[in-house]
Amino acid sequence: MSLMKYLALDKVANFFNIIRLNGGIRGSLYKLYRQDEIKDGVLIGEDKFGNKYYENPRYFYGRNRWVEYADQYYLNYDASQVPAEWYGWLHYKTDLPPHQDPSRPKYKWMAEFTENLSGTTGQYTPYSTTRPKIEPWVPKKAGQ
Amino acid sequence: MLRQPLTRALALSSPTRVAPVVPAARRFAEQVSVQPEKVEVFIDDKPVYVLPGTTVLQAAAQVGVEIPRFCYHERLAVAGNCRMCLVEVEKSPKPVAACAMPVMKGMRVKTNSDLTRKAREGVMEFLLVNHPLDCPICDQGGECDLQDQSMAFGSDRSRFTDIHFSGKRAVEDKDVGPLIKTIMTRCIHCTRCIRFASEVAGVDDFGTTGRGTDMQVGTYVEKMFLSELSGNIIDLCPVGALTSKPYSFAARPWETRRIDSVDVLDPLGSNIVVATRTNEVLRILPRTNEEINEEWLSDKSRFACDGLKRQRLVTPMLKDSRGNLTPVEWEDAIVAAARALRDCPPDKILAVAGDLADAEALIALKDFVNRLGSENTYTEQYFPTGGSGTDLRSSYLLNTKIANVEDADFVLLIGTNVRFEAPLLNARIRKAFIHNETDVALIGPKVDLTYEYTYVGDSASLVKDLAAGTSSNEVLKRLESAKRPVVILGADQLKTEEGAALLAYTQELALRLQDNLQDKEWKVLNVLQRTASQVAALDIGYKQGVGEALAAGPRVVYLLGADGGVVTREALPKDTVVIYQGHHGDAGASIADVVLPGAAYTEKRATYVNAEGRAQQTLPAVTPPGLARDDWKIIRALSEVSGAGLPYDNLDEIRERLSQVSPALVAYGDVQANNYFAQARALAKSLQKPVSGKLDVQLKQLEDYFMTDAISRASPTMAKCVQAVLKQKTSPY
Amino acid sequence: MLQAISRVTTFSKNGLSRSLPILSLSNGRYASSDPTCKKEAPIIENDAVLALPEERRMQNALESTIVVPVKVDLSPITGVPEEHVKTRRVRIYQPPKNAMQSGTNNIHHWEMEFDNRQRWENPLMGWTSSGDPLSNLKIQFSSPDEAIEHCEKNGWIWYIDVPKTEKDLRPKSYGLNFSWNRRTRVSTK
Repeated sequence: MSLMKYLALDKVANFFNIIRLNGGIRGSLYKLYRQDEIKDGVLIGEDKFGNKYYENPRYFYGRNRWVEYADQYYLNYDASQVPAEWYGWLHYKTDLPPHQDPSRPKYKWMAEFTENLSGTTGQYTPYSTTRPKIEPWVPKKAGQ
Repeated sequence: MLRQPLTRALALSSPTRVAPVVPAARRFAEQVSVQPEKVEVFIDDKPVYVLPGTTVLQAAAQVGVEIPRFCYHERLAVAGNCRMCLVEVEKSPKPVAACAMPVMKGMRVKTNSDLTRKAREGVMEFLLVNHPLDCPICDQGGECDLQDQSMAFGSDRSRFTDIHFSGKRAVEDKDVGPLIKTIMTRCIHCTRCIRFASEVAGVDDFGTTGRGTDMQVGTYVEKMFLSELSGNIIDLCPVGALTSKPYSFAARPWETRRIDSVDVLDPLGSNIVVATRTNEVLRILPRTNEEINEEWLSDKSRFACDGLKRQRLVTPMLKDSRGNLTPVEWEDAIVAAARALRDCPPDKILAVAGDLADAEALIALKDFVNRLGSENTYTEQYFPTGGSGTDLRSSYLLNTKIANVEDADFVLLIGTNVRFEAPLLNARIRKAFIHNETDVALIGPKVDLTYEYTYVGDSASLVKDLAAGTSSNEVLKRLESAKRPVVILGADQLKTEEGAALLAYTQELALRLQDNLQDKEWKVLNVLQRTASQVAALDIGYKQGVGEALAAGPRVVYLLGADGGVVTREALPKDTVVIYQGHHGDAGASIADVVLPGAAYTEKRATYVNAEGRAQQTLPAVTPPGLARDDWKIIRALSEVSGAGLPYDNLDEIRERLSQVSPALVAYGDVQANNYFAQARALAKSLQKPVSGKLDVQLKQLEDYFMTDAISRASPTMAKCVQAVLKQKTSPY
Repeated sequence: MLQAISRVTTFSKNGLSRSLPILSLSNGRYASSDPTCKKEAPIIENDAVLALPEERRMQNALESTIVVPVKVDLSPITGVPEEHVKTRRVRIYQPPKNAMQSGTNNIHHWEMEFDNRQRWENPLMGWTSSGDPLSNLKIQFSSPDEAIEHCEKNGWIWYIDVPKTEKDLRPKSYGLNFSWNRRTRVSTK
């Protein structure tokens, strides 16, 4: 155990390191505002939507892999924006991130990943397939 | 025992809540005066006294013993061919067919003995030998006499060994039209349909060919069974051989809710049962009412119910700036209508009521228009206003009453095709024609009434001569010698120029006959209205002759279900606002500026008065579609917004108002005898002007019958019927 | 018997007089005609036989109990929501014969049913829903009086629909099919 640790000065060092990694005071405050926490970690990869995946084994298992959502989402991020290939790494199903995994199958019929569209205009609305019981009268248009 | 307390109970309760008990149908003293002595017979050791000639089955019915039957039907002739009604009679070596066997003095009938049960079991087995076991896919399943009776009386084991189906009977299906589906293999040859067709419907198309296993029920040649009463053979068929085509595979009887209601598509107000499921009218069946429809129902009333699902007005509509009707909220439509009515000078408001309007809506509309300061409430139908006009109820009703027509001995029809204007009244006349040797004469165009009649001619002056007693026609002699004559004038004649004179002459003729009758209770004069709403409208005080009111150039026209084409855009000034309230998009809605969706007769509790003046109420079977509402409630809301609020808020209060206008309007099920014939006759004297025209009727052929109002015009089944009739005309048979 | 008569007086005093006296009367009649109720001749006391009419009346008045007329109204305790007591309309009727069948064994009773309420459609499945707890309630009675009593007790507004099914009996004859001079002769085979 080093003296730094003994005096808990490593925490102070970590603090400054985190501030530095997250883009200085302004950047850190911004990230704190956006995602309520700032962490230090190694950038493992980035998906095609711009989400960045980090890892830091210093944190406890379960909190040591995380995602920072792309700037385009701003505050409207949610877990469904993590694409399927990163989902496995993020949830410890695999330790190999998708770009380092040679055995990951890729077929051309695989659909493009979409996030959950509920609550947006693109959401799925269920509809009845039964015939309406009453056929309403449709008035003739004028001039016909 | 039951009747006495019931009448007392009813007499004590308030009239608005309870329909009074109607005295039993009129019986004629001279008919029963020579009553033969009754015969005592014993049914299961219970003594019963019956008239000689009564059948064993009828005698058993009198003590509440029901003998199983297939071919026997109490309203048809005895056929005696199904043998299901076999019963044991003491001292008779063989079981006898109860439906055809007249009782004999001291006869001891055993309806539940071993021999009887064995006989039934045997008959049942024979019937089932050639009956397919397709109950799961049969539409009759659940309401099938054969099914029930094989459960109750059949054998519990089978002796059927022909597992290769080498000899099982199979019969080709017949095409008898768009209403009736036939699966002739299921037929058990009860011949009920044949007897109905030849006795009641008067269309001798059905019959049997072949004998034994080869026997078939059919139409001999490829021909459709086209009659205005054809639907009744679906009810009559005890098995699934004849089923309803529009209702096929739609529902099982135990899934449906049955709501007792009243039909409004013809002026008789037949009693019906509306079968609904999932808020949808599936079919309409007749409900027994001996005073109106017995247990029959005309095809329009039965099958036009699919018109209730098409062409409906489901949302209020308002004409937008481009002249298109667009759906709006109730508030907007009501406010627009109220504004138009309020801004209009009172004498420029015109309200026109149509065929299917109920009494509640009629009175609400009349009160509302009166409160706005106008008296212009009219009906689409016409009635002469001269003489006593519509003041005396006797001059616009069927005074003889439908049930009593059976007892008539001479019927004179003036300018009416009863067969299509009121099919069940025609069935009554036919019944009298067959069973009472009643003769019928007709003045008007030559039409097929299904029975023979003396054709007098179609000139209106014939009525005048008959009324004056100067006619040399033998019909006059027959009328004068008749003990119970009936004269029926069709409402079609009243709208012509000579309508008032014709009515006056008919009154004169009928009352001259009536004065000379021995039976002082017998009424001769009848006017047969065309629509279900007309009598109520006349009772409430609607005016007649909408043509003059239209000529005056109204600014606001309120159409209450007026789809008869009487009010057209061409007849109105350009800037007239037309408010249409009704349930179907038809002639009325297509000329409207404001559309207020109302409820059809299966969707509201409403009062209708039939052609005899009998008030009856419909019960709501389903919910009005979309935003549609009860008609009187719409008018009530509209009156509130236009500042002339009507003083009734619920159904009881509006019925109270109806009873103020005429107590007969809320005496449900009851019909009052009419009086003041002499006064009406005296007042009509001045109208007896010379007439020269020819009588004509609107409904001449079967194809005219099917589509006469907004509901039946929207019905695809009725359209198919018309097509079928036209197709039949091109057939060589 | 005496009990029955005293019941009559009770009912006729209270608000149910519309229907109940008759009901109780018929009970009384039933009791007297029922053979199982027959016992030996009643023992009548000599005093009662010999008493003057006034004395007998006096004695009766002293013996009988005074009954305060009370309208039986169960609606506060039945748990039926007030809306469904005050706004509902009960139809008392005899079920009509099913036109499709000839059997009549299931229609010799009276029924009550409530007015039909609104139904609507579930937008997803198309199923029909109803907010009416009484829509499936049909109760059978042996007489309309019983039905009326039941409705009065529950505070429902009722009305009676009396079916017109009485018809005069016309003897039917198989021979009419073959009579040579009447129109009933069958035309089709």
